[in-house]
Amino acid sequence: MIRKIGIVAAVALAACQLNLTGDSIGKAYHGIKEARKDLTPENEYYVGRAVATNILAKSNYKYRDAAGFDSGKLEGMTAYINAVGNVVALSSLDVKHDDDRPTPLAGWHFVILEDSSINAFAAPGGYIFVTMGAVEQAGSEDELAAVLAHEVAHVRRGHALGSIKKSRFAGVMKETMDSTVTLDQKALGDLTNVFNGAMDDMTDSILVKGYSRDTEFEADSVGLEIMIKAGYDPAAFVSYLKKLNAHQATGSGGFSATHPKAADRIAKLETKVAKAAKVTVPAVRTKRFKAAVSDLE
Amino acid sequence: MKRRFLILCSILFVASLAIAAPKTGSIVTVRVLTAKVMKSPKFIGPAAGDVSRGSQLTFQEAKGDWYRVTGSVEGWIHKTNLTERQVTLSSKPGGDGTGNASRDEVELAGRGFTPQVEGEYRNKNPNLDFSHVDKIEKTSIDPGELEAFVAEGKLGGGQ
Repeated sequence: MIRKIGIVAAVALAACQLNLTGDSIGKAYHGIKEARKDLTPENEYYVGRAVATNILAKSNYKYRDAAGFDSGKLEGMTAYINAVGNVVALSSLDVKHDDDRPTPLAGWHFVILEDSSINAFAAPGGYIFVTMGAVEQAGSEDELAAVLAHEVAHVRRGHALGSIKKSRFAGVMKETMDSTVTLDQKALGDLTNVFNGAMDDMTDSILVKGYSRDTEFEADSVGLEIMIKAGYDPAAFVSYLKKLNAHQATGSGGFSATHPKAADRIAKLETKVAKAAKVTVPAVRTKRFKAAVSDLE
Repeated sequence: MKRRFLILCSILFVASLAIAAPKTGSIVTVRVLTAKVMKSPKFIGPAAGDVSRGSQLTFQEAKGDWYRVTGSVEGWIHKTNLTERQVTLSSKPGGDGTGNASRDEVELAGRGFTPQVEGEYRNKNPNLDFSHVDKIEKTSIDPGELEAFVAEGKLGGGQ
């Protein structure tokens, strides 16, 4: 028995140490063997930039408050959504699960797409996009936080990276990945092919087919945990989903093709919400939300 | 027996926390592009200053996931912004854009995707305009303003 305890304890100790440092994911990366676990934050940064650009291209690069991004000083509704989003994203670091992705190298960024359909997208590396249609459905700061928490959860759980097919890395030599300091043309070509394939897989999952039902349910569950940690009202998650449910009933909205039925998502969350501590939303939160959305009119 | 097992696990967990932190006086290196060094061990509140990728700081003590550091800026930085070693990193992840990278950079990040790979992807997809994501990632939220936003809204985020 003592030997058993020793083995269990040693494993627990090793696991603790692996999970406690930001380096662990980097150290685990010796050649791309498996997409989600082994891609470093540096790799995630580059695929994130490319996925984000593909999402923007699909919206013809039309997003709100572009002048603020030009000047480096966020404006209007975009400044507000970035405040809410950063509260949610920073709170997510206190919601820990195995294999969570570490802090994005370029921080968290929230962009409102000029698109009337109802949808939101999360690129790896912390680039979150929410359509105007989705923003307009939110009736409160807490409902907006629910949308953002779901997307932040996709990033923290590495869902887009997980959609990269393992076969993309087949034939790429380990030595190409981690032992050469200067890239030769063949290595660069191999890596570019992997990158292109990975981009196809991720944009297909994010923009066209959506993730699996279980992946979306996980983003809801983790998103709810993040909302609670941030101090937002967990009931707002369900109230927002009820609005989506009404749209799905009429076949409207852009999210139906990429998400499970809202009714199924509600059913999975309601028990958890009922168990969570009740939150009384202060009047000031309602007031500042109304002021922010007045910018949209 | 069950109680003894739980006690042993608890002791090992606490010990692992102590082992995981760097030694006082050791050098840690900033891994993210930019990070705030905070006056207190929390994300939301006044910042002591900024550090950028490759900055080397001296570890003093740990408080949960926060490390107190000294160097070009003194204060608290979240450990996920760091690599807990003294390494030479270029300002851009994965190398300087010419195809070269330090051994430290390669060892830490793997070769993987680099500015050259992104460049090749852009050449193959000339319709994609990366200038937007360049601008987007340069923006940031002032932690002092975020602190006021949290306090006003009676939130608890990132504390």
